[in-house]
Parts: sequence; C-alpha cells; structure tokens
Amino acid sequence: MHVKRDEIPPGTLYLLILKALSLHGPLHGYEMANFIQQRSEDVLQVEEGSLYPALQRMLLKGWVEAEWGVTAGNRRARYYRLTQAGRKQLALELSQFERVFGAIQRITQIA
Amino acid sequence: MFLDESLRRIKMLFRGSRFRKELQEEMRTHRELREQEYLDRGRNPVAAHREANRRFGNPATLQEKSYQSWGWSWLTSLVQDVRYGVRSMFRSPALTIVALLSLALGIGANTAIFSFIDTLMLRSLPVKDPAQLMFFGREGESGITDDIASTTLYSYPFFREMQKRNSVFSDVAALLSMLDTIHGTIEGQDAMQPMRVQLVSGSYFPTLGVQAIQGRALTEADDTTEGDHPVVVVSYAWWKRALASDPAVLSRKLILGTTKFDIVGVAPPEFFGTSVGEEPDMWAPLSMMHSVPPMWDGYKKNFWDGMYVIGRLKPGVSPEQATSNVNLLYQQIIRSFPDADLSERNLGYLQRAHVELTPMSKGLSSLRRRFSDPLRVLMGITALVLLIACANIANLLLARSTARARELAVRQALGAGRLRIVRQLLTESLVLALTGGLLGVGLARIADRLLLRMISGGPDLVPLDVSLNTHLLVFTFVVAVSTAILFGIIPAFRSTRLELTEALKDGRSSSSRGSSKSRVGKVLIVSQIALSLVLMVGAVLFIRTLMNLNNIDTGFNREGVLRLDIDSNVTGLKSDDPRMIAMFQQIEQRVSALPGVKAASFASFLFSQGSWSTSIRVVGQNLNDQVNIKHNVVGNGYLATMQIPLLAGRNFGPQDTATSHKVAIISEHMVKDLFPAGVNPIGHHYYDGLDALPDTEVEVIGIAKDVKFGSLQERPQYIDYMPNPQHPWGYGTLAVRYTGNFETVSRAVQQAIHSVNPRLPISNIGTLDEQVSRTLTYHRIVAQLSAFFGLLAVFLSCIGIYGLMSYMVGKRTSEIGIRIAIGASRASVRWLVLREIAVLTAIGIAIGIPVTLGASRVVGAMLYGLHGADASSVLASVVALLAVALLAAYLPARRAASVDPVIALRYE
Repeated sequence: MHVKRDEIPPGTLYLLILKALSLHGPLHGYEMANFIQQRSEDVLQVEEGSLYPALQRMLLKGWVEAEWGVTAGNRRARYYRLTQAGRKQLALELSQFERVFGAIQRITQIA
Repeated sequence: MFLDESLRRIKMLFRGSRFRKELQEEMRTHRELREQEYLDRGRNPVAAHREANRRFGNPATLQEKSYQSWGWSWLTSLVQDVRYGVRSMFRSPALTIVALLSLALGIGANTAIFSFIDTLMLRSLPVKDPAQLMFFGREGESGITDDIASTTLYSYPFFREMQKRNSVFSDVAALLSMLDTIHGTIEGQDAMQPMRVQLVSGSYFPTLGVQAIQGRALTEADDTTEGDHPVVVVSYAWWKRALASDPAVLSRKLILGTTKFDIVGVAPPEFFGTSVGEEPDMWAPLSMMHSVPPMWDGYKKNFWDGMYVIGRLKPGVSPEQATSNVNLLYQQIIRSFPDADLSERNLGYLQRAHVELTPMSKGLSSLRRRFSDPLRVLMGITALVLLIACANIANLLLARSTARARELAVRQALGAGRLRIVRQLLTESLVLALTGGLLGVGLARIADRLLLRMISGGPDLVPLDVSLNTHLLVFTFVVAVSTAILFGIIPAFRSTRLELTEALKDGRSSSSRGSSKSRVGKVLIVSQIALSLVLMVGAVLFIRTLMNLNNIDTGFNREGVLRLDIDSNVTGLKSDDPRMIAMFQQIEQRVSALPGVKAASFASFLFSQGSWSTSIRVVGQNLNDQVNIKHNVVGNGYLATMQIPLLAGRNFGPQDTATSHKVAIISEHMVKDLFPAGVNPIGHHYYDGLDALPDTEVEVIGIAKDVKFGSLQERPQYIDYMPNPQHPWGYGTLAVRYTGNFETVSRAVQQAIHSVNPRLPISNIGTLDEQVSRTLTYHRIVAQLSAFFGLLAVFLSCIGIYGLMSYMVGKRTSEIGIRIAIGASRASVRWLVLREIAVLTAIGIAIGIPVTLGASRVVGAMLYGLHGADASSVLASVVALLAVALLAAYLPARRAASVDPVIALRYE
C-alpha cells in the first residue's frame, strides 16, 4: 500500500506535535509519531523523519524543551516537553486552525 | 523573545557537533524502534528494515533540513570553505609564502601611503561644520609684509574692520601666520622648555566652534585691549606631556619672555589648530602679541601684514557672493586707513589686487603642498605593485589549479554546482587576500612610522595622526577584497570550465586545454613585464633626480659645518640693544678660538630657513619693483665659515659698526643683472626699499659667489649680506666650521656659548650637510620608495616567469625528450625554452615603453636635470629587465635540457 506522503495538511505539523505533547506529556520522536497515528485512528500518517526538522525549529523557538531519558525498553531517547511559550503557541495555532477549518467547513456545508 | 531565539541559535552553532550527534542518535533510535515493531509483528527482517526506512524518509536530507533550521548553513559552509582554503594554503607553503608576502607588501604599502593621503588631503578639520570655513587668499605665504596690497597676509586692524563690516560671514577670525617657537618656563619649574605658541584673535575659537574640555576657550573679551590679557589655552597633548595631565591645570602659570600667563583652558584632544602637521602647544590672544617673544608690535599697525584671516560663511551665502563682498570691502578698508600711502604706484597694486577665498575644510598645510604630488605618485606606484602581485598570484594559482583539475572534475561529476566550486575557489583567494591584508595592516603601521620619520627629516616627529581609522580600514578591506576577486576570478572560472570526461580520463591535462591555460599565464607575464618596466624606469628617474640634486653646486661648502640654534629672546633684550649685538660677537669670538674650530658666525638664514626680502633702488638704474633681494644678516666670519669665495672687494670687519656707513656684500648675479654695466660695483650705492631715503642707503664693499639660498633647485638668486651691527637681527643660528670629532666640538661650542650667557637655550644641533639634505626629503622618499617598489616589482615578475617556465617545461617534458632522443643538442633545447620567455619579455617591454613615456610625463615636474624618460634610463631598465627575466627563466631551461629522454618517454 502506497500512501501519499502529504497526508498531513500543510502547516499543521507544529499543531499536531504541540497538541500531542499537551495531551500526553513528554514524548520522544517515535512515540510522537505513534501517538499522532493512533489518535487520528490511522488517518494521519507522518513521514516520520519530518518530525525532526520541525522539532529543531520548535526547540529554537523555545516552544519545546528536550531532555535525554530512558524508555520503557531501556533505550536512551530524547524526550520533548511543552514549555510555557509552547502552550501559548498551541492556543494560537488552535484558534488559527479553527478559524480556517471553520471557514472551510462553512463553504463545504453550503455545497 | 527574539533575543532568546538568537541566543539559542548561537548556542547551537557553538555546540554544533554535539547537536549533530544527538540528532543522529535520535533518528537512529526511532528507526530501530520502528523496525523492532515490525519484527514483533512477524515481518521478515529485510522487509522490516526497508519499511521502517521508507516510513522515515531520507535521513541525510532530513538532517540537513534540521541544521538549516538553525539558520547557520551559510556560515558552516563558509567555515568549511575557509578551512579547506587554509588547508590548501598549507599544502603548498612556498607558493603561500610568496603570495602572502607580495600581498602583504602590496596591501601594506598601499595602506601606508593612503594613510598619509588621508591625513593630509582627505580628513576634515575637527571643528564644527568645516565646510563653511573660508580662507582669505591662497595659502603658501607666511611671515610679515608691509605691502599695501597683500592678498594672503593681512593686518590686525584690517581683520577687525572686515569682521565689523562684512555681511557674508557669521564670524571672522585671524591668526598669526607664523608659529612662535620660544623657550618658556612653567611657573615653579626651573628648566626652560620649547613651546609653540599660536597667536589668535579672540574670535578664533568661537568661529571654529571649538570648546575647551577644561576651563574655557579664548573669547573676544581676551582680545579687546592690548597687553592686559595674559592668558593661554593649552593643547591637550601639551597638557598631558608637559603637565602630566595635572587636574589643577587651571591654577598653573607659564612665563613666556617676561610675562606670566594664566592657563585658562585645555583644548579638546582632537583639536590641533588649523594647520595639519603643525600642532601648537598653546594659543594666546593676539592682544598679547608684544609679550610673546619675538615681541612683535603689529597689533595696532594698519600695514603690518602677518595674519591669516578665516571666515565662516553664513548659511545660504555662496562663495561667489562672499568673494565679491570681501573684495569690495578690501578696497574700502585699505583705502580708508589714514596712513595708507596712496601713491600712483600703490594704487596700481591695489587695483590689481584680488582676494581669492579658498575653502579650508581640510585645514592649512604646508606639508600637503609639499607632499601631495609625491604621495599621489607613490600611491600610483604601490597600486601598480599590487597589480603585479595580483597577476603573479593569479599565475601561481593558475599553475596550481592544473594540479587540482582532476579533483575539481571529480567534485563536479559528483554533482557539486559550478557556482559552489567557484565560490569555494573565491573563498580561498579571499582567505589569502584577507590574511595578506591583515599582515599588510601590520606592515603599514611600521611603514607609517618610517614614513613619518622620513618626512619629519629631523629629530622631532611631525605631529600627524596617521593611526588606523575607519577610512583606512575600509580602504584596506576594499583593497584586499578586490585583490581577492581580481586574482581569484580567473583561476576560478577557468578551472571549472572544463570537459569533465577529459579531465577525468587523464590527470595531466590535454594539450588543447594546456595551451589555453598557459596563454592566460603568458598574458599575465607580458603585463607584469610591462608594468615592471614602468616602475623600473620611474625608479631610475627618481634616483637620478636625487643624485642630480645632491650634486648641485650650492656655492658653499656643506661639509664640515656644525649648526645650532640659540633662543636669544630669553635675554629680554631688543635686537638693536648694544648688549645683544655684543653678545653675538662675543659668542662668535669665543667659539672661533676653540681648538678644532676654523671659523664661526651667526646668520639670519643658513640655508632654506625662509627669507627676508625687499625691493631695492640702485643708483643710476631704473626701478624694477618686481625684483626682490634676499637679505642675509651675518657675522663677520660668515663667508669664511661657509667658504663662499669673495670675488672682489673686502669682507666685513670691526670697522663696520652700528654708527659707521652702511655696507653690503652682494652676490655675483645681483651685480650682473641689477647694476649698470661697465661700472665697478664696489663703492656703488643702492637703497634698500623702493624709495631713495637717506637712512636706507647702502654701499657695496664686496662681491660674493652665487649660492643657493632657499632650495637646491632654484635659479641664481639676488642676495645681499649685511653686518649684524648695522641691521640688528635677533638671530639665532650659529654655523661653526670645524675639523675633528663632531661630539667633542659640539660640547666645546655649547660650553663656550654658556660661558657668555648660561641661560641661552641651545637646540637643533646638527650639521649643515643634514640641513641641506633635509630639503631633499621628499625627493629622497620618492627615490627610495620607488627604487624599493621597482625592485619588488621585478622580483615578483621573476617569480612569475620562473613559475610559468617550470609549468611549461613540465608540460613539454615528453616533447623535449623526443627532441633530445632524435639528436637535438642540450644547448639548442635550452635556447628553445629560453626563446619563449625572451619573446614574452620583448613583447612586455614593447608594450611597456610607450606606457612608460606617458607615465614619465606625469611625473615630469618632480624630476630635476632630466627631461621626462630619457633614453639612457629607459635603455638601462630594458637591459636590466631582460637580464633578470632570462635569469629567472634559465633555471627551468637548464632543467629541461637535462631531461633524460628515456625517462621522459617512459613517463608519457
């Protein structure tokens, strides 16, 4: 089965990561990918590697913090955690998303 | 917020490698966990691995994307390029050293010369709005005249009238055109020290808009009535030097002559007055003129013209408006002075007089007048040297890029963009150029000290600020970067424009490409030779000029004469005081009697010390008021001391006293041109001045051989000598003809002077020969520097030739091998190789000759005894250049001739 890669709507990756962290608490990359997939009931499939450039940018922006920790399976992994600025950004992204999504919905419902 | 982000970015930059490693580990973990998951679900290991990787995407690209988000990718690739450039510099150390040296010299020399051009010609005075300042007349004269219509020097009353009546200047200021260098005392200290006092009007500081950093500047209130404002403002440098920056400076006092002056202020550190290269130690109001030795009394005289006048234009007034207003007032003011002698002759002068207003935003400077031409020429020379250095480095890099052709081809084949490679090659040249520039700045600092010492010509440095400033750094940076581009661009584009397959096939370049490469090299060599010829001929011309000037017959014997200055002002006596006259005579007698001393005499002017000149009226001749006679007031032993031959008549003697009939010895040329033909000039009379007044009558008692008076280049001058008792002159230069050890005689002479008056300050002890050669300072600088740079240029060209030859010989090894194998003699092979360079050199010379002729016309005014580029100078340079070029080519040629045909052919 070949899934098209851009199934995550453009511009929503930050929102998804931020939301995942706020729902679940600290996560490492693999968990994040799984979390998004599970929560979306397999609708959204990330090109998992694209998480990492996004995470780098989020680290730079100060939305998340990273810390090395140990997984349940006793592996070293870097856990990302939401910061105060990240929470603010999440609220911002959410309201933006809702505005756009609402608008799209209004149009599609009319049709 | 933004700040935090920038901080995080910088942190990432510095911990880059750790971040990279962590990111790699993170990504690997991710893929492994996914793989494990698939395995756990029962996939086979190969499929699990592949599927995990597919879901992840290309890790290399993702990593790259991650770093890019830091925003440092340009920097990291720059760092890579720089690192690579540095490494490749170290890989060929000989080339690097030659390149760096030539760049450092080229850039350093340019920067050093430019720093002088900057200080002397480009920088504005550190005052308020210097562009509004206008100077009355054209600078060039200084001193005192009593002309009715001087348009450079003005009297104090004239300045006051101009200040009152003009409608174009917001303010007008005056300053004495000469700096008074006197020996004064700081109150509470015994030792006298030289002080340079600038007398200025009270409006000087307000007009310039300069405020004191301590106390106050001079004001109009200091310049209202004559003689009762003993105050000075001292310069920052003097405050620091002489008073050790004493915070209580405003309570200190100075004694100048017999007057005690209060220090009322300290000028700001950057303020050096209005003359570049002539920094006064202090400024005193003109109202105190009579209290500052040499105690002039021109404050109230309408025709005592010794001032420079400066005006600050009102906003919106054009220089033309100002000029017409000033000239109108000029006529009115001078005619309105009650003591104006409005004879027909003077009215004629006055009608012709026109005051030219010149902008003085860059200040006055006699140094600028003397050195701007040589500096421009030197700038041209050093720029040419830099060009040659660039051509050379381009050539060397070109040769080296052959060696790298394969490497570059591989990189291009692997997908490196052409621009990326060009950028990298340019970065390499930039690294080279900036390193050279950095070395150059260091070199320029040393060179500037040297140049400053050279133009100072004496023990004291000219106070010029040639330190690094933004002007200069920008200049150097621009030079370095354009250098990099200039010599980097050819090799960069050339080595990326290649047929990949061919270069990959064979490390040694194909013949077609090789020849086009050496064509560029040949063009570079030809231009180097041409430029070198220009520089060499220039050097020869300047050196010959210097030699010609040095060999000029001065008319006196410049060897074996000690000279020193005394400051007779400290006696407080007037120069016509009999005690003063006696003091001079006593010193002359005591010094003459010293062992090792043959003769000694004071003189008002030894050589090139300025002049005092007037017109004369010779009895029986028509007046020619255009002729000025230079007067020299001397002691009786003067002609003997200087060994100036007396051609006829007698010397001065004890009979020539203040009360006896006035006498003079005149110069040969004066007799020839100004005295009636056929009349014996001995015993003939003339009047000193335009009018035949009885007290100016002089009798000729002797004729002396012509001598140089002001400069070595001058035509024969009209000079008369007068005995000091008859024309008392508060002179201070003593000349002593001696034999034996300079130091011993100098000590004895100083003791003799102090035995007459222990308080007399003695300064500037040296030899007459030094004084004469000092007037050649700029010729010497130009000659030495142009010789240096000429040699440097030739040296660089030789390296270039050597490099190109080695490269060509290397390429032709197999051809040469075949030639030798089929029986060519070693000598003919040698000649085969040499011929090529001989042809290139000949072409270079052929191009260089017309360029040289053109360039030598530009410097014609700076030459002496030569007419432009004369044939012998050009010929000598051509021969020398040809010789060294062939020498540089000979070594590779010999190597070519020693090729073993078997090895050469096998190698192929």
